[in-house]
Amino acid sequence: MVLLAHAGDLAGGRSDLPIPEQLFGVAAAVVLIVSFIGLAVLWPTPRLEQGGFRAFPRAVSRVLLSRPVAVVCGAAGVFLLGLVVWSGLTGVQVASANFAPTFVYVVFWLGLVPVSLILGDVFRALNPWRAIGRAVAGVASFAARGPLPAPLSYPERAGHWPAVAGIVAFALLELVASNGTEPETVAIAALVYSAATFVAMALYGVEAWCDRGEAFGVYFNLFSRISPLARRGEEIGLRRPLSGLSGLRTGPGTVPLLAVMIGSVTFDGASEAPLWTGIVPDVNDFMASLGLSPEQALEATFLVGLIGAIVLVYGFYRLGIAGARSVGGSLSGERLAKLFAAALVPIALAYVAAHYMTYLVFQGQAMSFLASNPLGRDGVDIFGTAGNAIDYSVLGATAVWYWQVAFVVVGHVAALTLAHDKALVIYDDPTLAVRSQYWMLTVMVGFTCLALLLLSQSNV
Amino acid sequence: MLIAHSGHWAVTVSYLAPVAGFFIWLGFVTVRQRRQDRAREQGPDS
Repeated sequence: MVLLAHAGDLAGGRSDLPIPEQLFGVAAAVVLIVSFIGLAVLWPTPRLEQGGFRAFPRAVSRVLLSRPVAVVCGAAGVFLLGLVVWSGLTGVQVASANFAPTFVYVVFWLGLVPVSLILGDVFRALNPWRAIGRAVAGVASFAARGPLPAPLSYPERAGHWPAVAGIVAFALLELVASNGTEPETVAIAALVYSAATFVAMALYGVEAWCDRGEAFGVYFNLFSRISPLARRGEEIGLRRPLSGLSGLRTGPGTVPLLAVMIGSVTFDGASEAPLWTGIVPDVNDFMASLGLSPEQALEATFLVGLIGAIVLVYGFYRLGIAGARSVGGSLSGERLAKLFAAALVPIALAYVAAHYMTYLVFQGQAMSFLASNPLGRDGVDIFGTAGNAIDYSVLGATAVWYWQVAFVVVGHVAALTLAHDKALVIYDDPTLAVRSQYWMLTVMVGFTCLALLLLSQSNV
Repeated sequence: MLIAHSGHWAVTVSYLAPVAGFFIWLGFVTVRQRRQDRAREQGPDS
């Protein structure tokens, strides 16, 4: 996966950049400073809290939210989950020739991010676990000839922690486990996650669990909150981009969840960088000296790296919050961390978009032949596209770099905007609001420079 | 070893230079604001 994530290199080096790569970090910092000043001058009152929702014509909402559409979307999600499990368990055990790994790691995990960004929370409609849970609840209610007993109320103190556990488990499978891309492993992981999700849904209710605990539902919902498309009650319409994040219900686990989202991408980027590859042999030797097998030692080394990246991201954010807290005001650091947490969502998006763009563009093309032959068996060609190949010439290395820089800068300007808008809401004193944002600006510059450093290092 | 790989470190440091610059600026701003706050608090009495 790491190799293919940077397949842009295959299209040639970035030798034609007009300035040294390092200066892009300085330029990005300048853009953030200018944005900060622009916000301070031109954005004196909160604008994202209201959202300015404008509903589409009623007929549009009625069709999109109709039961047949819900059933079709849910069935599509269930079909694809079933196909992942079936192909993973019965197909050839070669990651690049089997439908399951590419679908899960590319189409599902990465492809749904831009879809959520543009179309809103479409995963909620496609969520196979939600669809099965609702169908089972409907059948059970019909069989019981009445409403089912009310589920347990979702414990507030659990917050987003179950989602944290789910995303960490996915990151371990993707980035740490040596067999994480094997089709059978992917299929078994999907079955285990499904079983855990169904148990949780039975306990806490389908909707409550999908809203707070189901890792992928929570993950894609966070990105969908940036989208201008939204559902409000029984209406679908347009709102101000980013305004969905103003209404984000933060609670226990929300900040750690975002730290995991950013930290896991950070580690994936750093895992190729000389900074990390230079120390891997030493850490690996230490792990081996503890009695671990070579494979276990390498996994333990990568686990240390993943945890380190997550802790680094979390620590840097908390440092910024501690700084914002130091300017005054009555809010505790914990409260401030939750209030500003939404600003981390565009950063997470920027990291995912910049780091995985090439992976999505190149490896996503593999679906054309994998869909035609999901099990990877010889002679199977359902749609007549099994002979297709990936075209690595669609994106050049220089174009990739410019796109990556653009994603990083735009994402961090969006984060700065969200933090600025929130500061105007939570601070009575405008001076305190501006002072607190000095620290958030530093956090944004830090994340920007880290992203650009990792992107440049991954191509060394 | 460190010196032998100074090229890598120099590139890394150059990427993180804006962050270091921001922390220096923040330190300066914080100290200045605290002085101003203190002067404002002491102002009426002195």
